[in-house]
Amino acid sequence: MHAMKYSRRCLTALMAVLTAGLSLSCDTQHAHESQNLSGAEDSVTISFSWWGGDSRHTATQEAVNRFMELHPDIKVKTQFSAWEGWENVMSTSFYAGTMPDVNQINWNWISAYSSDGSRFLDLNTVSDTLDLAQYDSEVLQTCTFSDELQAVPVSLTGRIFFWNKTTFEQAGLAPPQTLAQLYDAGRIFREQLGEGYYPLVLGEYDRMILMVYYLQSVYGKEWIENGRLNYSEEEILSGFRFIQSLEEGHVIPKIETTLGDGAVSIDKNQNWINGSYAGIFEWDSAAQKYQDSLSEGNELVVGTYFADMGPYQGGFSKVSLCFAISETTPHPQACAALLQFLLNEREGAEILGIERGIPLSASALGVCKEQSLLESATAQANDRIIEWVSFTLDPAFEDSKLKGEPDGIYYDVMSGLSYGDYTPEQATDLLIRTTNEILAEN
Amino acid sequence: MRSERSVLQKRSARTGVRLIILWLIGYLCFRCYPFLSSFIYSFTDFNLFGEAPQFVGFDNYLTVFRDEKMTAALLRSFAYAGFTVPLKLLAALGVACLLCTKCRGIRMFRTIYYIPSLLGSSPAIAILWKSFFRTDGPLNALLSLFGIQAVNWLGDPAYALFVVGLLRVWQFGSAMLLFLGALQGVPHDITEAAALDGAGPFRRFFSITLPMISPVLFYNLITQLAQTFQEFNAPFIITQGGPRSSTTLFSLLIYNEAFQHYEMGQASAMAWILFLIVASISALAFLSQNAWVYYNDGR
Repeated sequence: MHAMKYSRRCLTALMAVLTAGLSLSCDTQHAHESQNLSGAEDSVTISFSWWGGDSRHTATQEAVNRFMELHPDIKVKTQFSAWEGWENVMSTSFYAGTMPDVNQINWNWISAYSSDGSRFLDLNTVSDTLDLAQYDSEVLQTCTFSDELQAVPVSLTGRIFFWNKTTFEQAGLAPPQTLAQLYDAGRIFREQLGEGYYPLVLGEYDRMILMVYYLQSVYGKEWIENGRLNYSEEEILSGFRFIQSLEEGHVIPKIETTLGDGAVSIDKNQNWINGSYAGIFEWDSAAQKYQDSLSEGNELVVGTYFADMGPYQGGFSKVSLCFAISETTPHPQACAALLQFLLNEREGAEILGIERGIPLSASALGVCKEQSLLESATAQANDRIIEWVSFTLDPAFEDSKLKGEPDGIYYDVMSGLSYGDYTPEQATDLLIRTTNEILAEN
Repeated sequence: MRSERSVLQKRSARTGVRLIILWLIGYLCFRCYPFLSSFIYSFTDFNLFGEAPQFVGFDNYLTVFRDEKMTAALLRSFAYAGFTVPLKLLAALGVACLLCTKCRGIRMFRTIYYIPSLLGSSPAIAILWKSFFRTDGPLNALLSLFGIQAVNWLGDPAYALFVVGLLRVWQFGSAMLLFLGALQGVPHDITEAAALDGAGPFRRFFSITLPMISPVLFYNLITQLAQTFQEFNAPFIITQGGPRSSTTLFSLLIYNEAFQHYEMGQASAMAWILFLIVASISALAFLSQNAWVYYNDGR
């Protein structure tokens, strides 16, 4: 009896010690953080998140390491991933208030998640550390919502064709420079190389953007104007018929075929890697990722816009991505210092190069010129986009209910058309109705 | 004497509470609170990035039965459970019967058959599964040896749900282990007596073995049904609900509603409907057990 009582006391004492130890460790951690906060930020830890491909991860991690060497008082914890699913992760953290201190964000995230300025810090408040004079004021204006500069834009981007020159040569062709040549390539690929070869591959969202490019080329209008779709039923119908004609002409594989390939994204698709799919319509900043994914011996070249697509110069450009600081970060100056290093300082710009597209920062652009980085495919593509496109993108175009995978309306209409579940007329009706409903909600 | 015992009991209870207090706090915060708050949210139009939630009564619940996409996903979940649960139980029972025999290396075989369950429904396995069923993947390569044309397993809506379900069936190891334990517990003297009376192997299995292991069958049925209705990883990773929503199970739609459209009110109502479905099916199974589950204690 006595022994039992003794062992129970011991157990209780042990539990008490463990509990006290646990709370003490929490307190110590808290005290340490408090000390940092109260001090002149002499030793702080900030978190930094981004998405991208392997080459971007490597370069950014290297730049962060260099930043920590130069600022031993600032420790940067990084978290990064591929794009797929990343917005879901981040949006949840925005809501929960657990977002990292510094974030790479998509341009439309400002209007989608912080239109009232509640999530991202007004960067004007840290402009003594982050040199905003490196940016064109008009570009900064695109990231200004609720009179607050909520993010700093990194680069401008647009979609353009990239061709696997090697596959085209195997088919006895040069990469297409007109729409007519692209249709011809579809036929010749089938005849010369076989059923499994296509001059172009497009996912559902790629098809949507290509359709907008086509319609803008033909009709010369912005896609969205005054919060509504700016195209008539007849016009959009012609766009869906255009996409359908690409499938019928063996220019692009059916969605069913690409899904059967079992790849998460085109750059990981074996048919892209080995050259069976010989073209993409992608963001300029993705050029390196697609080039790197090709198997040895395949060469990726930047395409041109098709002058015979219509009387207007269709296609759009937009801010590709931005960096934002959390509104609730306890270390805004440390965050601004990191951004200053990555975006404007020589060493940071040298390491990052054009991993996030052609920099909008004047100083970083100067570094890229010195390093001859502007001869790369990304730079070539960016030049052609800026030179050609005459339309801008409304951030509402990228609303998650429209472009969300797998049940956004773009995915539904494009895959439905490809699978034969929708006629072009049905797809048109559904796209107009749903898009206008969602735009009205914004 | 009585009061001394009562004091001891109180002390003992206090010690017990002290021992579980950390777990209890976790349980209340991370289980009970979300469970109850989701119930409240289910009656609101709560959107993560919208305005303050408004009470909408049963609207979210009714939407599930009015919205074609949601109803289809719900029916798909029933169909999915309808083919994966029986197949998994059959596979588990069949392999357990084989592994119940005495032969050399039987322990090694038991381990091998249990491995898929150890791997569980991990993302890595789902990715591997996806590679296996690619148009140019190993399965089609194998089929081509027999002159069978390549099948578009992942792109054809007719096959995609089957591919996803097959992964669940393949992970039959845990159910198999339970069956194996139950089979080893069936008294040999009863089956031997039946054999002496002229009962064949099938008769012995269906008239003696199966009733004797019916409590384990019942347990496996309930747990597998509950897990299958909550299936998420496989369709999310292998097909992302496609092609053409053919693998969008109700649980996946809950996720999309919550984390893509941020409609937490609607997603909460859907989660509660799913909970009620699983609870009702389990209740029905419990009610039916008198008719087919045999307990050794005479019940």
